Amino acid sequence: MVPAAIRGDDPIPAKAGIGLRFQHHQAVLESPPGVTFMEVHTENYMGGGTPVRCLETVRRDYPVSLHGVGLSLGSAEGLDLAHLDRIRQVAERIEPALMSEHIAWSISNGTYLADLLPLPMTDEALDVVCRHVDQMQSTLRRNILVENPSTYMQLRHSTIPEWEFMAAVAARTGCGILCDINNIFVSAKNHGWDASAYVAALPREAIGEIHLAGHSVRELADGGSLRIDDHASCVADEVWSLYAETLRRFGPIPTLIEWDNNIPPLEVLLAQARHADTLIDRENELRRAVAA
Amino acid sequence: MLSLREFQSAMRAGLLDDSSPVAAALLAEVLIPADRVSIYRNTSRIALTNALRLNYPAVQRLVGEDFFAAAADIFITKEPPRTAWLDFYGAAFPEFLERFRPAASLPYLADVARLERAVSRALHAADAEAVTPSKLAGLAESAQGRVSFLPHPSISLQSSKYPVDAIWRAVLARDDAALAAIDLGSGAVRLMIERRADAVDVTRLDERPWRFAEALFAGRPLPAALELAASSDAPTWLAAHIAAGRFVGCAPSGAAHLPATTEE
Repeated sequence: MVPAAIRGDDPIPAKAGIGLRFQHHQAVLESPPGVTFMEVHTENYMGGGTPVRCLETVRRDYPVSLHGVGLSLGSAEGLDLAHLDRIRQVAERIEPALMSEHIAWSISNGTYLADLLPLPMTDEALDVVCRHVDQMQSTLRRNILVENPSTYMQLRHSTIPEWEFMAAVAARTGCGILCDINNIFVSAKNHGWDASAYVAALPREAIGEIHLAGHSVRELADGGSLRIDDHASCVADEVWSLYAETLRRFGPIPTLIEWDNNIPPLEVLLAQARHADTLIDRENELRRAVAA
Repeated sequence: MLSLREFQSAMRAGLLDDSSPVAAALLAEVLIPADRVSIYRNTSRIALTNALRLNYPAVQRLVGEDFFAAAADIFITKEPPRTAWLDFYGAAFPEFLERFRPAASLPYLADVARLERAVSRALHAADAEAVTPSKLAGLAESAQGRVSFLPHPSISLQSSKYPVDAIWRAVLARDDAALAAIDLGSGAVRLMIERRADAVDVTRLDERPWRFAEALFAGRPLPAALELAASSDAPTWLAAHIAAGRFVGCAPSGAAHLPATTEE
């Protein structure tokens, strides 16, 4: 099924956008950049004052996507209802074109652990996540997207391949998928998966957005290495290739450049977004040529 | 098989350094390379230390980055956040610093931290519509005499034995000359911290207007606040608070027998 909120009255065109962080608020207000949409972390706009006023101004000129990082859809103990209500309030004020969260958990025993922690891919976790996606969607009265995680370890008691888990959440709740290409690449490298096969296993009709970001390689004491999804650099060449391959398979999809640490001048982000737009344009041309 | 709740509890313990042998054994059961918990622990610590840094920038400059990171690490283990909304994370950090022996040589540090907590609160407090003088005039005359007020959520008051506002400003401006010129024995300060249009204002008040404001902002009825102020200037102070939009609600107080005229 195609969620109404994703392909609704105000869909985001299938072009590139950027993650908006506080460091770039002023630059964006002074000289609105030529990007198709902007995405922010919902948690950064839960208070009053200047930040949310800036976002309201941005919202007048761009579709905005609210990307949550703290609801902890995978927590066994249930959702923090006060937090869900804060998300609802930000959504009422900003009227976002998209809303998303993660297939992860970050709260246990009432403590917020400030990281997107890995879920065991089990039937129990699938039930918990689906229940919470339902709860989030009914509270917000709209469909959301859920993002595939990047992980540094596989849990021994997992029984469901991650791509099947993602597809099952979408099928059972009607939510869409935020397909993070960098996360797929990072997890595939870390766990020895086939990244292309992962992408191919996702249901096309559920993909509402793509994320692209930079990652780093950490050498481990045991001689191995680990890809770390740190959002602190340009998108890697191999991730661009996987992105182009994803566009071939699924067609153009709204694509976001994320950058959260060592944040560069806005121009660097915009150049990354232009590159994504180039690949989208190329895919559109290819499709037109094939259709002709 | 390990339930989701058990797994998350064990992982939480691993991240907060209070791992029991049982929790550690549970983790070892499901983590393929068990040492990778440390990668998640580091990410979590960095995120929470950054949240504290954002809320306590002057404290960090006063003690230095390494000292701050070490203190933050201990604090995070003791007082991890209870919510994913981190704008107010570290509300207990000033009291932690007050008892933190390695910081004992900076007696004003906890009060600088309290000022920064108030500044964060002012920055992030919810938006709220101010009571206008005309709305206030709409209250029945008999009610006006006994009115009590609800302050804007961004406002707070603080007093300190030390000139913490001067220290805070000099440290954030990296003004070493101003910092060197501060006399720690110059006497107590009484501060009002609030969000104005685009920034946070920290204003020094004299003792009487401060006591008057303290009573009003605590919701004491106007006559009680006026009595505490013991000054013929108090009506002028009140007018200034109203004109500055410092109240977001007002109602006749102690008026169970009166119809409510609470402002929306």
